[in-house]
Amino acid sequence: MAEKKVHEDQKYIEGLLQNNSFIIQAIYDKFVPKVVNYIKQNSGDVARAQDIIQETLITIYNQAKEKKLQLTCPFDAYFFLLCKRKWLNELKKTSSKEVTINEAVLSKDDNALELANETELFEDKQHLFNQMFQQLGTACKDLLKATFKIKSMEEVAKSLGVTYAYARKKKSLCIGKLTELVQASPKYNQLYN
Amino acid sequence: MNDQDYIVFEGYISKTLSEKEMTGFEDRLESDQAFKQAFNTYKELNEFLEQKFENQEDSIEFKDNLNTISKSYFKTEKTLKRELRFTPWKYAIAASIVVLLGVFLFNNFSEPTYSEFSSHDNISLIERGTQGSGVKRAETAFNSKDYSKADMAFKSLLELDSTNTEYQFYRAISNIELDKFDIAEDLLHRLKDGNSVYKHNATWYLALSKLKQKKHDDCIVLLKRIPEEADDYKFAQKLLKKLN
Repeated sequence: MAEKKVHEDQKYIEGLLQNNSFIIQAIYDKFVPKVVNYIKQNSGDVARAQDIIQETLITIYNQAKEKKLQLTCPFDAYFFLLCKRKWLNELKKTSSKEVTINEAVLSKDDNALELANETELFEDKQHLFNQMFQQLGTACKDLLKATFKIKSMEEVAKSLGVTYAYARKKKSLCIGKLTELVQASPKYNQLYN
Repeated sequence: MNDQDYIVFEGYISKTLSEKEMTGFEDRLESDQAFKQAFNTYKELNEFLEQKFENQEDSIEFKDNLNTISKSYFKTEKTLKRELRFTPWKYAIAASIVVLLGVFLFNNFSEPTYSEFSSHDNISLIERGTQGSGVKRAETAFNSKDYSKADMAFKSLLELDSTNTEYQFYRAISNIELDKFDIAEDLLHRLKDGNSVYKHNATWYLALSKLKQKKHDDCIVLLKRIPEEADDYKFAQKLLKKLN
């Protein structure tokens, strides 16, 4: 498959990553109205739209940071698709009515669809990981927090009052435990098919 | 997977494995699917934890900033909508103020008009024995501003009493109202040149007749002729000021 060209709208992704207020404001001015209108026209209101938009932008930020997201389509299409789906998923949870997502009508951009799918998968995994992390024992939680905040393993060991070797071993075992929890989760197969 | 597997996962990621160990690891990745899958999940979790804790400050800063921008954006949205909702009556008030101002200014600074100066009080005609209903008819018509009817009524009355200055005067006014200036001015000229109680009133209405026709020069000449003792002197002076 040929290398997909990075779209010029990558600047919006970069802007989010750098916490550039100017670019974030531009995103609100340019792309948010369409989302707000869509949600209002589909049993929603401005307050819900506000939340959906914020959550989506945080997800995009996280994906950009963790997975180095590369935009291969216009930001508008990608962002709108994500918000729209997120809203419809919320409706499905709260409404008893059948909610169908008519993709063909709204988006003809294959790249946008693909990217949106990737982002949604990323978001679902994040959810699962966070859930499972909470299920770890306190010792593991504290150790992992310390390990990743304090880059030096020696310092971690010192702060926890353990040997360096023990700290390192404990780190791998804790992440190992987390891996087991994730793999044992019923959602795992959906996400990793 | 067992404990040892996870320890070697960590070793591989942190690049602390020996070359031999690394080769062995990579070989196993190729052949052991379960091993590969577990490792991939472990690796993803490692990235997840890195982002969660290592870049926490950046993440928090971003979320705070995003929240601020979001609040500000939607507050503006709400304010705009609120303004739009209230604007109609706000605009109505502003508009009516402008209109009132306009009318005030217009009245004070624009061209004077006939209607401004020609308010007719209700008339009460002197009854003469012979006229009876005709008088009543003329009076009612004039007071209800039916000047066409009033004109006809006064005309009838004048046929029977041609020198009646009262009828002449009010017939003249009726004709000014009907824009029949020739008839009106003819009557008024005679009254002006006469000696009845309506002498100066006639001059005043003659001036008004000219005003209605926008013959301002003629109007001014007539206004200046109205003496101080006349009923309409004050009005005449006011109108003069406006015309000059």
